[in-house]
Amino acid sequence: MIAPLVVFIGVLALYPTVLTIIEAFFHIDPLTPPDHFAGFGNFSALFADAQVRQSIENSAWYIVFGVVLIVVLGTAIGLLLRRPFRGRGIILAILILPWALPGVVEGVIWSWIYNPTFGVLNSFLKSLRLIGQYQLFIGSHQIETIFLITLVQVWQITPLAAIIVLAALQSIPNDLYEAASVDGASGGRATWTITLPLIRPALAIVSVEALIMSLNIFDQVYVLNANAGTGASLMSTTYFLTFQDLNFGAGYALSLMATVCTVIISLVIYRIIYRKVEFS
Amino acid sequence: MRRRLRRLIRLVALGALVVWSLFPVYWALKTSLSTNAAAQQNPVQYFPAHPTGVSYQALFGAGPESADAVGGIGQALVNSVIEVTGATVLTLVIAVAAAYAFARLRFRLKGVIFYATIATLTLPVYATLIPLYRIMSDFGLVNTYIGIIFVYTSGFLPLALWIMYNVFLALPSSIEEAAHIDGASTLQTFGRIVIPTASPGIAATAIVTFLFGWGQFLFPLVLSSSNSTEPLTVLLAAIDSRNAPFTVINAAAIVAIAIPAIIVFFLNRWIITGITAGSVK
Repeated sequence: MIAPLVVFIGVLALYPTVLTIIEAFFHIDPLTPPDHFAGFGNFSALFADAQVRQSIENSAWYIVFGVVLIVVLGTAIGLLLRRPFRGRGIILAILILPWALPGVVEGVIWSWIYNPTFGVLNSFLKSLRLIGQYQLFIGSHQIETIFLITLVQVWQITPLAAIIVLAALQSIPNDLYEAASVDGASGGRATWTITLPLIRPALAIVSVEALIMSLNIFDQVYVLNANAGTGASLMSTTYFLTFQDLNFGAGYALSLMATVCTVIISLVIYRIIYRKVEFS
Repeated sequence: MRRRLRRLIRLVALGALVVWSLFPVYWALKTSLSTNAAAQQNPVQYFPAHPTGVSYQALFGAGPESADAVGGIGQALVNSVIEVTGATVLTLVIAVAAAYAFARLRFRLKGVIFYATIATLTLPVYATLIPLYRIMSDFGLVNTYIGIIFVYTSGFLPLALWIMYNVFLALPSSIEEAAHIDGASTLQTFGRIVIPTASPGIAATAIVTFLFGWGQFLFPLVLSSSNSTEPLTVLLAAIDSRNAPFTVINAAAIVAIAIPAIIVFFLNRWIITGITAGSVK
């Protein structure tokens, strides 16, 4: 009963991962095999590449903006929807819509919203007199570009975070709040001192999820930024290096670094936030 | 007074949430139903004055605007449906069988295999993308339905296994034991009792898996970007980079999100069940 699973995971997930680890240390030229052992050659070549260094810095920003916005907004929405009210079912359906749509389509939709000559964001900001004339939002400033591209992914991933937080909130027994209000803690303070500590496991999951998504960000970058340096992410650089420049060795080395980073940062987040919570 | 203020703040927050979630989709729909001239007005019109279907006609090749720049959406729609449905069915069959074995049976290396599979959930795309491309091209499976279905399946299996494992753990095993005592074989018990009782969980897993598949872009971009196998996501990115009329691009975006949007509209409870089951513990 498990044989098909073993074959699929073994051949198409674990074996490729091992290959990435090994091949990162080889010089690979698809046109003239065989591959030669290169030691850390691929890695030192990467760090000498200004484009790669830029994308590492950019991805750090993607992670900071992405994780903070997704976790904060997801938690806020979870708290907002915690208590049942009329119409909550409809709100939940509306909430998860962005999560269910393809990231690349969202990139395309938002690219028209951000459009410099007739985009709705420009029109809206101008009608509020927040800007004097239409702006080029994507591609002119590094941080602004990254923030606006992140926003598209935040739009997509926050619903997932909100649903996970909401499920955790609903598993908290009500008598805990009653006890707290007897003790004089109410509203905002109860949220900080009781609610959030109790949903730490959910917050850990949401943070790690947001981290992985931010480190993997590709679809939105591909559409909104193409291969310009301004907003290039680690993943988009890996893609263009490997499949456009056919520099497989560099692609493998960057992939291995990103994988190791993901695992390490995930573990750190888990250690900081995750505490097992038991209601007895 | 303070309670009223609180209610007001809540209402404003809920309103903002609805606008934030729906506006971009509404905007793409509105743009796709406008003429190019109307869509470029400055300042923008928030509601279409004269909705028109010309962009959709152009997209599906019936209208005068039809050009190669926007061709192929019918084929891409078919490709997406075949690839995503194929991967969903294959993933479900494998995951349900394996999850049941992990939840109910004892066998050698059970723990190792289970955790090795679940661990691949945390692997970023980076870990497998390039080797998968090389493996697929070695076997001649680049730009084939079967190649992309296999890759999707390997990617979706861990989450499907995890959700189904939790579903089976939550089902009482006493009914199955009773059926066994009454003389039913393992296969009969599985088909007649286990599958029907687990069907809500199976449905939730299937829907979440399907949505994942529908959204895939990077893997098909690398592994199946020929006209005959490219899914809607890959075609849309190509149309977007070819300077097609932007009302037509928005129409293509609406076509690409129609199916997931319909699923959300009718089946949102299952999606929430699936997400929640996938995240517990």
